[in-house]
Amino acid sequence: MFYRGIQMGRVPIIGPHDTLFFLSASIMLFAIPVTFKMKDKRKLLSPVVWLSVFFIFLSLFYKPHNVPLPPVLKTFWFETHVVLSFFAYALFGLAAVIGILYLINKEEKSEQLQYKIILVGYCLFSAAMIFGGIWGYFAWGTYWLWTPKELWTVILWLFYSLYLHARLRQWWRGKPSVMLGITGFVIVMFTYLGVSLFMKSSHTF
Amino acid sequence: MKILKNILNFFLSLRLSIWLIFVLLSLLFYGSFVMPKEKEFQTLNTIPLFQWMNENNSGITWWLWAAIGILVLLTVNTLLCSIESVIKKRVSKHWILIISPQLIHVGFLFILFSHLLSSYGSFRGTAFVYEGSALQLPNGLTVVFAAINTDIDHSGFIKNWSADIKYFDERRQMTKDVISPNNPSFQDGFGIYIKTVRLEPVPAALIEVSREPGAFCALVGGVLFLAGMVTLLIFKMKKEDARI
Repeated sequence: MFYRGIQMGRVPIIGPHDTLFFLSASIMLFAIPVTFKMKDKRKLLSPVVWLSVFFIFLSLFYKPHNVPLPPVLKTFWFETHVVLSFFAYALFGLAAVIGILYLINKEEKSEQLQYKIILVGYCLFSAAMIFGGIWGYFAWGTYWLWTPKELWTVILWLFYSLYLHARLRQWWRGKPSVMLGITGFVIVMFTYLGVSLFMKSSHTF
Repeated sequence: MKILKNILNFFLSLRLSIWLIFVLLSLLFYGSFVMPKEKEFQTLNTIPLFQWMNENNSGITWWLWAAIGILVLLTVNTLLCSIESVIKKRVSKHWILIISPQLIHVGFLFILFSHLLSSYGSFRGTAFVYEGSALQLPNGLTVVFAAINTDIDHSGFIKNWSADIKYFDERRQMTKDVISPNNPSFQDGFGIYIKTVRLEPVPAALIEVSREPGAFCALVGGVLFLAGMVTLLIFKMKKEDARI
């Protein structure tokens, strides 16, 4: 990733090839500190490494975007918007893995860890949406466009808002909130890859 | 009095928030599949939302009307819950940390309000302009495109572009500016954007004129939301760590 960044003279975050790789690296980046919070470190690291490898494998199916960037993408707001989005996606992925571990091991600590990770991810994702809005306003003349991708971004944001509000109620604590945390990552994957595959949108990833 | 109390209790409920978010999610989920299929949605980004909704058949816009209805209920729910929470927790020692969710809610409401403003009074128009040509803005000002500039690399690829513009009020020149990608020019609430250029047969630029009345409100909302989110994050992390 560093080599590609130097080669292209920019952060490699354009197109599914680069972003899948970036997502994979982000998952590992966040997994390392989270692992220190776990009693059995291998329990978390093993599925997380597999998830990362899966995304790297998936990235090989996409062509790298090697042409020069259009000037509208050469801005701090765009780069920060994408980087924060993928950091958030990585955290949501990590939260889903921890959720699955909770369903297997039933450790209360895993549920709390999942909540904390989702909270950080939600914060980054909200920041990404705001930064995207600022970029859109300077680049396209509007902070909001009615496209399926943007609608799904809001669906994803609302879904995690639902998770955070639901978890405030006692009934939702434990298995129900963990299930929501796992479902959230399915929505992440559809927002990230599914929308571009099945629906026309201004976003290409 | 009892009816009023019942209405208040109905809105002062976290369960209601969860249900409203769930219904809103379902409506947007449905809409995301309808949007790419119906050709009417192609014009949705060119005119204000409310105008578009009035001009189009309710058979395809019903989910947007329903989503607005849910958002109105969610606004009332958010406002009342936030007021109640501030009143209850005003004597707490960690007041700033405890009201952080309310700061997030206020930010959210600002963003909703910004969308309301833009859905009512936004404007978008595009045109191809040539060097020396003029464009009249809806507020009566005239923009003259004095020069279209390009930065071409050794392979002939246009790396960047810009346009020198001058604003005229009737025949008097007011000010001049340079527009380039990500660097629009703003005058009296209108933004002038340069989208792309072509050099043949004569230099021309695709220009967009846009007005987003909710933009500033959205920025304020975004800042409040993030400020609240960061303080909430600190507070919740401490609280969860204490629980473990």
